[in-house]
Amino acid sequence: MKRLVLARREHPTRGGQPVAFLFGLVFALIGGALLLTISGDPVFDTYERMWDRSFGSFDTISATFNRAVPLALVGLAVSIAATMGLWNIGAEGQILFGATAATFVGRLFPDLPGPILIIAMLLAAALGGALWAFGPGLARAEIGVSEIITTLMLNEVALRLIIYLQTTKWKDPDGFGFPQITARPEQAKLGAIWERAHLGVLIALAVIAAFAWFMNRSVWGYELKIAGSSPKTATYAGISMRRKVIGVMALSGAVAGFAGGIELSGSAVRLSENISNGFGFAGIIVAALALMRPSGVAVVALAFSALQVGGLSIQTLGVSSAVSTILQALILFGAIGAAVLSTYQIRLIERKVTA
Amino acid sequence: MIFAELTISETAIIGLFVATIQFATLLFLAGLGETISERAGVLNLGVEGMMAIGAVFGFIGAVESGSPWIGLLVGMIAGGLIALLHATAAVALGADQVVSGLALTMLGLGLADFIGDDYTSDPRRALFAEVDIPGLSDIRFIGDVLFSASPVTYLAIVFGIAAWFVLNRTSIGLGLRAVGQSASTADAAGHSVVGMRMGAVVVGGALAGMSGAYLSTFVVGAWSVGVTAGRGWIAVALVIFGAWRPGRVAAGALLFGFTLALQSRLQPFGVSFSPILVSMLPYLLTVAVLIVISIRARNQPSPSPAGLGIAYRREER
Repeated sequence: MKRLVLARREHPTRGGQPVAFLFGLVFALIGGALLLTISGDPVFDTYERMWDRSFGSFDTISATFNRAVPLALVGLAVSIAATMGLWNIGAEGQILFGATAATFVGRLFPDLPGPILIIAMLLAAALGGALWAFGPGLARAEIGVSEIITTLMLNEVALRLIIYLQTTKWKDPDGFGFPQITARPEQAKLGAIWERAHLGVLIALAVIAAFAWFMNRSVWGYELKIAGSSPKTATYAGISMRRKVIGVMALSGAVAGFAGGIELSGSAVRLSENISNGFGFAGIIVAALALMRPSGVAVVALAFSALQVGGLSIQTLGVSSAVSTILQALILFGAIGAAVLSTYQIRLIERKVTA
Repeated sequence: MIFAELTISETAIIGLFVATIQFATLLFLAGLGETISERAGVLNLGVEGMMAIGAVFGFIGAVESGSPWIGLLVGMIAGGLIALLHATAAVALGADQVVSGLALTMLGLGLADFIGDDYTSDPRRALFAEVDIPGLSDIRFIGDVLFSASPVTYLAIVFGIAAWFVLNRTSIGLGLRAVGQSASTADAAGHSVVGMRMGAVVVGGALAGMSGAYLSTFVVGAWSVGVTAGRGWIAVALVIFGAWRPGRVAAGALLFGFTLALQSRLQPFGVSFSPILVSMLPYLLTVAVLIVISIRARNQPSPSPAGLGIAYRREER
């Protein structure tokens, strides 16, 4: 009797994660083409439109850059938590609460000059995000509560907090009774740097570069690496695991909350429950595809942003924009398959018959 | 006049509890599925996506065939099939369960949106009718709430008892729990870890799909994008709240179902408390329960399956 098993290769196939990602992309495009064909939609026209509206011109490229910002920052936030083997599934909530904190500052000082207000709002956003992730970090460090579930639960709480504010305390008096929050101060808008791209693109790149430097060059980053790879060694070296877990979760939340602040000042006019826009979940996939490396996060975030921006444009062809979501998920499943096959091979072996 | 007011409030109370039973059924089916999957050691964060797939296929199956039963079956099969993707990635290939599950939610929501595009404003209906239990349904108040529900509610109770029995009283259940506690030990004892886990994930997916189909063939009675409205995440919370045991999951489903029902029905009671704050309760309660479980785990074994979330590869044992 024969059966299929996964056997580890003596030498992993070369190329690694970039190849796995490209394989995932091809896998997703083929899967998407099959779906489009079955539903009678034009495959080539759809993909051409998606490409054209994401990378086709300077104007669309700049829009793709903008949308890559929250994806990259969330990807970075997830990677930061992952250095300690932790999962931050709560970026969605941290974006929302970060943007809520920024809105609070905007309401408190509506007359500050633009640059000062923007800085204050972004700091508040980071602080808000850190606060939203601090609880799960504390619970994990002190009594071992799974941060996966607590961060996930707090997403739903942050979402409902905004809906509550929308209909009560922060309701727009000029909204004709429509439940929306008053627009943020006009001067708190991030300036454009190139075509449609706003300053947030540069800020995000700086944050990613700073983190990469921090992980590789600072004492704290070095301690993190030890603590993440070998808790026992870290404890012997006098590194407090408790404080590392809390610190890393708060930092991860701060980066995600910061993304919420950038969204509020960059792309949105007002705080709403849609400001997180699924970035919190897509960013986790981005981080996983980038194997939690900052440079990889930037590249994958750009690709996902292109799929999302392109996805919005195909509705005019009569094609559902859900194609974009499907493609993003399929990339991950394709890449999983490729990554496994690069370290393992499928072999047909003879099953031993035991009497 | 006093009599008239009393009648209104009784209708409101009955309405509240009827809705509680409906939401409890919805949450229990998905929560039971997730319980089975997690007892085998596989965390599946794809519930929301599997539910959406069940909802859209359930609706299509029901209106195209004219029978909500066909819809329910189609929804279950669709949920089980999409769960197979998580089973393959996270169990057979050993990928990270968190990432694979979240990707499954994304894929499920996207696919449901895509497939359901033509059915969004479909006026056709093929809905379950309430089934009156003879004799019992005539009891005032209790009859309306407990003995005049949709057949899916009764089916969910049967499934719950069956799941409890299989998990706790059969060798298959013992094997499944062993696989979830310690995969290498179970493997050494001759259980097929991969087979058991994949099976549990697929069964879990079928139940999440059934929950979704119940949503589109009874509770809401139609398909639209976002019809699952985050209830899949409540189901994930419910499993923890219920300490991974079908009976407690059922009790939790009633409590969480009550908070869901309360949101849309506060006004008739003259309560000025914001319904949106009530809707935070299931999530906050789950966090509270997790904290209590963790504190108690210092003195007694945690109810969480020990092998939950850990991939198993035999050669790395």
